[in-house]
Amino acid sequence: MAGLPDELTPWFLARLEDLRIRTRQQFPGMGKGSHLSPKRGSSLEFSDYRHYSLGDDFRYIDWGLYGRTDKLYIKLFKEEEDLLTYVFLDASASMAYPEGDRKFESAVLIALALGYVALASGDRVMLRVLGGSGTQPAPVFLYGRNRAIELAERLRAIRPGGQLDLASALARELVAIRRAGKCFVISDFLMMPNVVTRGLGLFTAATMDVTAVQVLGGRELSGQGLSGDVEVVDAETGEQVRVSMGAREREQYRQTLLRLSREIKAFCMKRGMHYALYTTDRSFQDFFLRAAADLGLAH
Amino acid sequence: MGLLNPGALVFLALVPALVLAYLARERSSRVTVSSVLAFRALRALGQKRFAGRPRFDWRFFLELLVLTLAVLAMAGPYVVRRENPIAVVLDNSAQMKAQTASGGSRFDKAKKELDAMLAAMPGESAVSVYLTSPEPHRVNAAPLSIAAARSAVRDAQATDAPADNGALVNLLTELSSDSHYAKVIFAGARALAPPVPPGITAITVGDPIENFAIGSFVLRRESFGSQALRASVTVANFSTAPKTLKVAITADGKSLASAESNVRPGETAVLDFPSLAPAAVYQAVLAPSDGFSLDNVAYATSASVKSVSILFVSPTPDDAKGLGSIPGVSVTTVAPDAFSPGELASADLAIFEYSVPKEMPSVNALLVMPPPGDPVFHFDTVQVRAAQVTAWRATDPLAYSVNFRLLNPGAGEAFGVHPWMAPVVDGRQGALVLRGERDGHRFVASGFNLFPYLGRQNLPMSILTLNILGYLAGVGANSGGYRTGQPWLVPAGIESVILPSGQTVAAKPGTLFDDTASLGVYKLVGRHGAVTLRAVNFSDLADSDLLNATPLRIESHAPAPKTRAVTAKAPLTLYLFAAILVLLALEGLVVYRRRSAAGV
Repeated sequence: MAGLPDELTPWFLARLEDLRIRTRQQFPGMGKGSHLSPKRGSSLEFSDYRHYSLGDDFRYIDWGLYGRTDKLYIKLFKEEEDLLTYVFLDASASMAYPEGDRKFESAVLIALALGYVALASGDRVMLRVLGGSGTQPAPVFLYGRNRAIELAERLRAIRPGGQLDLASALARELVAIRRAGKCFVISDFLMMPNVVTRGLGLFTAATMDVTAVQVLGGRELSGQGLSGDVEVVDAETGEQVRVSMGAREREQYRQTLLRLSREIKAFCMKRGMHYALYTTDRSFQDFFLRAAADLGLAH
Repeated sequence: MGLLNPGALVFLALVPALVLAYLARERSSRVTVSSVLAFRALRALGQKRFAGRPRFDWRFFLELLVLTLAVLAMAGPYVVRRENPIAVVLDNSAQMKAQTASGGSRFDKAKKELDAMLAAMPGESAVSVYLTSPEPHRVNAAPLSIAAARSAVRDAQATDAPADNGALVNLLTELSSDSHYAKVIFAGARALAPPVPPGITAITVGDPIENFAIGSFVLRRESFGSQALRASVTVANFSTAPKTLKVAITADGKSLASAESNVRPGETAVLDFPSLAPAAVYQAVLAPSDGFSLDNVAYATSASVKSVSILFVSPTPDDAKGLGSIPGVSVTTVAPDAFSPGELASADLAIFEYSVPKEMPSVNALLVMPPPGDPVFHFDTVQVRAAQVTAWRATDPLAYSVNFRLLNPGAGEAFGVHPWMAPVVDGRQGALVLRGERDGHRFVASGFNLFPYLGRQNLPMSILTLNILGYLAGVGANSGGYRTGQPWLVPAGIESVILPSGQTVAAKPGTLFDDTASLGVYKLVGRHGAVTLRAVNFSDLADSDLLNATPLRIESHAPAPKTRAVTAKAPLTLYLFAAILVLLALEGLVVYRRRSAAGV
């Protein structure tokens, strides 16, 4: 589709249209949709009975129950509404490093693909950027498949940069969001684990359904390009650490990163969140389609 | 152990450079990462390094070793090896082709016995192998191992050239007096006359055998202008009883003539074959055959089958009219100004009247009254009004049957002393006729004009003229001069020589051609593919006498030389370079595997 990145090929978009967002709880929507809503409505799914009162539609009287109890009851049904989907994209400076790993570009692709799944399913999508040096998109929901291109343009305008305190940033966003829904948080989560858990824990407190998508660079995970004595500088804080990298040190560094990822995943599982890890040396399309369940998507 | 080039050790100063290179490489680089979270745990490891000094890993020490080895290789290390070389002299001359009573040639038997002797020697012995023919020479530049020496002996080939006994004696004398050699082994047909110097072990193969031989095979024209040839074959009987020796002449596969003679022991006879039909190659075969077949056959070639072509260079071409009247002679006249050396290619001989070519002609030539001071022949002439013959060489072929008392040369010129031409006819003021050979060609200079009298009633002048022309034109028919093993001068215009074996060898005119170890007919190929045949026969009758071969006498000037071990420097440079290559390959392999494993 014109206006979309090259990775989103027509074949891949067709696969995305087969997916829909899966939630573990029901959220009220803003219009008719395909997700069950806690509201009562006219869907086929039975919800409850109530006593008949004047003016009720005769068609919803349960005549079988009237025969057994000699009282008139009206059948109530659940409402099906659209899903409010929030995509939180980490655009801090750490997403731009290591150079050549294309971490931020991969995160943008994931955000766009998730947004496309939601838009193609008739759900509403709001893009929120955490950190970054570009223009913060307006806090409006996009609706309709044709808005995917607008979503791509908004994502294209974002430049990674600056320092990010994930917990504080998410807290501010939650205050601004008035309506609960499905949240996707896309970040490298390369920060202290307690910061990550505190930030993600805010969503569970707000009864939101969350999927954490961690994006790590392939070279970043293996420590490529780091050999001998190296002075590493934190892209966000500027902290400097002198290390001597050999094969043993590279392996230890890799194990540390994997341990951090495992801690985040364990936290997500414990709190009923979805978690997916994407390393940029993998094929993006292959990751997205294979990890659909981990991303909180369903066919 | 020592160093051939100790000065190269200065390159060890590169070691600090290597250390500096490592220090520079180990200098910490600055890299921006997404987060230092995972690196904090590694910082403790870095602080463990002693005093923050650079880390010299295995690659540093390996490259230090490679650098050291390279410098050492440049210094040329060697080890001193003690060895007692043995000299082996194998006679591969033509006489070794003679058959032995037990069958097989002398050469095969000598090689077999020599091989057995070498096989019994200690394996670490170093051997120098010498062959005697066509001239004594060493087969290998450096001493060989026993196995290599046995292989060299097995691969040796006997030649058709006779042994140069003088050179062989000199070689054996030199080797026996050389204290470097622990032992000298001579394997040949000649025995060593006592006293044999100590240190020489002789392997004498082949008993004296009776032999019948062709000594010479000479062709000449019956007369100048005649196509018929006359052959003379000398045969010898080296046996203890009189023998009838028969010689058959064949040419181009056809039998032409045969003759025989009863020859007493130790004597020779000459068989004459008149009026042989023209042919390119003549072969003489001696019967009965004997145990040494090399001297039972001889070859001769003839260029007389075609008419004699004369190039006449003269400002007065009418003088050549008389030449054209000789049967079998064709004359081409050309003015001196129009003459070019290329015209000689189609001529058998050239006549320069009142002129001299600007370079040495590539054919036999007659120079009639040449101008003085020419840069080629350097004739020193004196004008003579009425030349008178005062002396002549009666045995010279040019003077044959000439009545010089009746010869009246008239006006002409007399020659002074010439550097390479000898006088044949002398006058009062100097030589009137000179003769000589240069670059394989014959040249005659005449101080008076021969041709106005040719064909007239001046008989002495006509006979002298025909003698001169016969001498100049007959060289191609003379086959007696070329012997196996003897080099000859490459004639002018010859570019290559095809050996009897069919092998083609490049040749340069004016140089010695020494690839003459084979008996047979050699083809001298000139420009435009013109071919001249040249017969090369076995040496002379002295080499054919296998019955009375005299022993070789080795002179021992000094008392028995003490054999002392020879020290040789065995360079180790190659081993060092091999070690360097192995180490570099090892480093490359390990680095590649580690990088592959790390995904770099």
